[in-house]
Amino acid sequence: MGNLTTKIIGVITAVLIFISLYLVFGYARVEGTMLEVQKIFYYHVSAALTVFVAFGVNCVFSIKYLIQRKPNDDLLAVAAAELGIIFCTIALLSGPIWARYAWNTWWNWEARLTSTLVLWLMYIGYFILRSALESDKRRTYSAVLAIIAYLDVPIVYYAVDIWQGGLHPDRGTKWSLETTMRWTWMVALLALIILFVYLLIVRYRMKKAQMRYEIIQQKYLREAA
Amino acid sequence: MRIIVWASFVVILGLYLFATQVPVSITPDKVAEAVSDAVSESQVPVDEDIVEQVVLRSLEKIDAGQRTRLTYLFAAYIVVWLVFMLYVLRLEQQQQVLDQRLAQLEPP
Repeated sequence: MGNLTTKIIGVITAVLIFISLYLVFGYARVEGTMLEVQKIFYYHVSAALTVFVAFGVNCVFSIKYLIQRKPNDDLLAVAAAELGIIFCTIALLSGPIWARYAWNTWWNWEARLTSTLVLWLMYIGYFILRSALESDKRRTYSAVLAIIAYLDVPIVYYAVDIWQGGLHPDRGTKWSLETTMRWTWMVALLALIILFVYLLIVRYRMKKAQMRYEIIQQKYLREAA
Repeated sequence: MRIIVWASFVVILGLYLFATQVPVSITPDKVAEAVSDAVSESQVPVDEDIVEQVVLRSLEKIDAGQRTRLTYLFAAYIVVWLVFMLYVLRLEQQQQVLDQRLAQLEPP
């Protein structure tokens, strides 16, 4: 992907973020029960759904790496995992602020919250594993761990159905929102997904440059020896 | 990227400050006037002072409730932007280190 395309995606990201902020604060109707606090929903839920996309990309490229053994697939998988952790952190930090107001507690060990925290911890473990191993082993083992960790994503998504009686609303609630709220949420979701794509390209390029640097450095060291 | 993140952070902070600092349009004088009008139209005898106190107290509660909700709302958005900001700063730092290393590798 060329520099110009990346710049265009960057501009689209910026425009969408500002439009979504306008929609959140200036267009979407104030909900009747939670009033202004309900507006946390737009970025909280969008960040949580972007986590699924990010870890999905990580899982796909991990499988691709295990089949084709191309280092570039591993780099894309790592970049996606890193961004997945960032979006998951956002969901995990903005959620308790909502919870404090809505449920009168910062944290509750209900199914969706707990499974999301487990997901976050698993991908932290993914990076710990990568830092502990050497090159080829690191790529292979972390790809296997990525596939295992991704199994938690459907658990997070269907947690409210599997363990009923939790504090989170049903999965379909976001689709039954009032029109202005639904549009605002969809634009916020689109903005965060495009932001993820943009950051993924940036991060992948950096990782690729880093890998090239390490290859050249090793070549110099070998020649010097 | 850094500029975008900073700009949107300023937008959120600005909105919060604007929303919480806007002077309340319903002043005690307006409340007294409205209560006086309502009492004069009322067909049953009511104590104007008591009604005015109750209305003022209700308005204070509504105002305090809104400030609390806005604080929760903007705290959440500021947290979102802080995470992005820290991540973008870290990316920039890593890019600078990488550029320096690559420059060292280039032949003089």
